[in-house]
Amino acid sequence: MQRKIVFVVLLAVSIVSLVYGTFFRKILVYDNLEKFERLKNIGIAIKVPGYEQGSQSFEVQSQWFTEPEVVNAMTFDGISRYKDGRLISNYPDLKMLKGRMPCPT
Amino acid sequence: MEKIRLKIQLAAVVAVNIGVVNWHTVCFPVLNCHSCPISVFACPLGVIGQFAAVGMIPLSVVGLLILTGLVAGRFLCGWVCPFGFVQELLYKVPYMKFGIPGWMRFIKYGVFAGLVVAVPVFLSTSSPLYFCRLCPVGSIESAIPWAVMRGSADAIGLSARLAILFGIVVLAMGHRRFFCKVLCPLGACLSVFNRLSIVFPRRNEQCTQCASCGTTCPMETGRKKGQVAVFAPNPEECISCLECRKKCPTHAVQLWG
Repeated sequence: MQRKIVFVVLLAVSIVSLVYGTFFRKILVYDNLEKFERLKNIGIAIKVPGYEQGSQSFEVQSQWFTEPEVVNAMTFDGISRYKDGRLISNYPDLKMLKGRMPCPT
Repeated sequence: MEKIRLKIQLAAVVAVNIGVVNWHTVCFPVLNCHSCPISVFACPLGVIGQFAAVGMIPLSVVGLLILTGLVAGRFLCGWVCPFGFVQELLYKVPYMKFGIPGWMRFIKYGVFAGLVVAVPVFLSTSSPLYFCRLCPVGSIESAIPWAVMRGSADAIGLSARLAILFGIVVLAMGHRRFFCKVLCPLGACLSVFNRLSIVFPRRNEQCTQCASCGTTCPMETGRKKGQVAVFAPNPEECISCLECRKKCPTHAVQLWG
């Protein structure tokens, strides 16, 4: 009986996490902030809406990814965490995370 | 049954590396490197490690692993995993055979906790201790093909990987499924659920308690005299390969029911 209860609880947990993770979870990923910082420091204008208005008010692009899309991006080491805690693309453009690239490891 | 298993293993090697389609949004719960140029699915361990590095839990992958464990336990290790199949072939090579102490099977839980989760969390995925950088499957399916295709590679990193791969190949020739038994972190995850899984070898009323099944088990789950392989002492190691059924004089072992 104890075994059946554990089985049912774990089954429920697995199904809920699988369904939520696959279909409902959304993760916000930002454009490569480190790249913007570097380019801004050497005086190159970035064609991102709002960025060239000044460091106080610039807006970088961001996009909501589903968890399977993030899984795909993780397979080629496409996402990391910026120093302020935001998830950022390791590639120049967020659109590159939707494709398939070889993992550098 | 042995021939059916062999055919399924061969089909699985092709199916997960056929390269015609790429479903890297989906993990398949066997050890198969997604960096392989022709891989179809993502590797659950690689994804867990990458998510751990950014401080997240991949819910869909964790859910998939728990669900797989509850339904099939380590059945996929015995019937589908390409590297398990390779190790079975390696063991057929005439070479000095040896046993290992029972405590060594606990190493794989440490490998999962340490190299798959803790290293990316506390160091990073670029750390040389990160599991994917040491994984023998990654070496076969990714590091070597990419080094050949690019014509260049990190010499020290590749040499270390090849040394580990060589060591595991030699150990797998001497001991049946050495990597599965001692080092595989995915096997560690699935083995936790083996006692609860639906698909698992069970004895029916025809069993005469002769314990002959224990002598043939590749995972050595029942080597002690008088104990029956599918029940004791380590059912979490059972990969449902049904080698025990082959030896059973009354065919009392069945996969479920």
